[in-house]
Amino acid sequence: MEISLFLKRMRSVTQALLIALMATLSQQATAQDGDAASGETLFNNNCKACHSAKDEVVVGPGLKGIQQRRDLAWLVKWVKNPNGVIQSGDEYAVALYNKFNKAQMTAFPAFGEKEVKDILAYVEKANTAAAPAAAAGTAAAGAPAGESAPSDLFTYILVALLIVMLLVLGVLMAIVSILSKAVSGEATASAGTSFSDRLRDGLVGLSKNSAIRSATVWFFILMVTKATVDGMYGVGIQQGYAPKQPIAFSHKLHAGQYKIDCNYCHTGVNRGKSATIPSANICMNCHGVIKKESPEIQKIYTAIEKNQPIEWVRIHNLPDLAYFNHAQHVNVGGVQCQQCHGEIQTMEVVEQRSSLTMGWCIDCHRKTEVNTKDNAYYDKLVELHKTNSKEPLKVADIGGLECSKCHY
Amino acid sequence: MKRIHTLIVGAFFTAATMTSCQRSHDDTGWEFAPNMYNSVGYEPYTQIEKNPINADGKNMREPVAGTVSRRNYQTKFDSASVDLMVYNIGKDDLATAEAVLKNPVPNNEKTLAQGKELYVRYCQHCHGEAGDGAGPVADMYKGVPNYKADAYLNMNDGHIFHVITHGKGRMWPHGSQVTPEERWKIVHYVHKLQKG
Repeated sequence: MEISLFLKRMRSVTQALLIALMATLSQQATAQDGDAASGETLFNNNCKACHSAKDEVVVGPGLKGIQQRRDLAWLVKWVKNPNGVIQSGDEYAVALYNKFNKAQMTAFPAFGEKEVKDILAYVEKANTAAAPAAAAGTAAAGAPAGESAPSDLFTYILVALLIVMLLVLGVLMAIVSILSKAVSGEATASAGTSFSDRLRDGLVGLSKNSAIRSATVWFFILMVTKATVDGMYGVGIQQGYAPKQPIAFSHKLHAGQYKIDCNYCHTGVNRGKSATIPSANICMNCHGVIKKESPEIQKIYTAIEKNQPIEWVRIHNLPDLAYFNHAQHVNVGGVQCQQCHGEIQTMEVVEQRSSLTMGWCIDCHRKTEVNTKDNAYYDKLVELHKTNSKEPLKVADIGGLECSKCHY
Repeated sequence: MKRIHTLIVGAFFTAATMTSCQRSHDDTGWEFAPNMYNSVGYEPYTQIEKNPINADGKNMREPVAGTVSRRNYQTKFDSASVDLMVYNIGKDDLATAEAVLKNPVPNNEKTLAQGKELYVRYCQHCHGEAGDGAGPVADMYKGVPNYKADAYLNMNDGHIFHVITHGKGRMWPHGSQVTPEERWKIVHYVHKLQKG
């Protein structure tokens, strides 16, 4: 009885083992049919954009274990013409199509059984061998250390120096008062008084000195005059203006890290007077798909739903009395955005870097050479210019300083 | 008592001078005669007062329903004058675009250079410098194809033009940013990238 039970158990165990062995063998059989090396090239060129060889979802499902899910004939049919399989009403295909937001896979009509087998072989290989390699890839994404603000550091040093100077001044004054008293013979009288009393006496003495008094007054008058004149020059200049925007959009991220060209959003910069602020549909070109759940991006969705414009705060406000055209400077003149707007690609919050004063405009018009190469419009001008000047043709020479170019 | 007073007054003036030196980042500062600064006519992206004419108070008005933009209707390329058609093939009609559209822009060195410039501006951050889908945005966006992939190699001019205009798959329409003329130039450059 016991022996028969043991035999029975043995049989079931061997059966299970056999089944497992056969399963792995059959798996290896399909995988070995294909060439993993050519599969890798095929996969990287054609599949990688939407599929991972592992099990994570990129756009479409991960391909790990695809052979257990589907047989080869179905896969070949699917890769050749996904739309056809969906149209034929294949249950699995329709479910897949609905699960992935009805995004249809690109058809690869040129792919036959061999290509599919190669890719499957690569997927198999990637899942058996690449476990440790995957961990290494994720670790190398540290952002560079935050740049220390030199202006802050400078201020700290100044304040520290000021404190040291004040301390030295106090000590010196104390010494002066002690010495003066010692000389005048009052040392014995004031010996009993405290240091602070002596210091106060010294200061009172100083304040009664008419030369020191008038020097202090003049110093203050000069300082106040300078501050007033500086302040007057600063009227109407908004340099450093960096208002808080309704959406915390970061140029550092978009233009810096992701290297999106300025023109992509500011489409008017080559075409017209204004560089233009992107309309919400341009934001949606990316954010219709990514980072939809972020509260800042939800603000764009709300604006679209309510058909309300996003009220960005304008930073560069040129007065109406001066005319400026972006296209003339960027398209014709070839001026880089950064020349006037500063290193926008490093700014978390955009600030007005240039003063935008007339002197600033004129300065650049005097210095900048006109690019006359391959432009017949300038040929005669250059010829004329050469007759009375050895300098290259500058913007100032072709009317860049004319009042009515900007003021009319 | 008197000393406390002088202390308070002193502290006040110190504080006043120190704060008045630095304008806050949210402040535009003083303006002289702002009525000369602000435009009387309507200017883009500037509106000081509520507009009494439009019901919603904005200067901006939406175009009349059904308005068709006709920019670049007629464009000259070098010596030959080529008309750019009014493009009104529907979003889902990719097959018609493939069959009907022909690139009106001549394929030469100049247009290719312009196409490259436009590609850098509007496409490169996703599709990559070589058109291999390895742009910096693609890592985040996912699903950006390689132009050299077998399924893309045989796409004709009309197909690419239609996809730029209306988008396809995960790519969203770019017709509002790129004019038809510019799209045709990009098409030439995309073919160049496919050839490597």
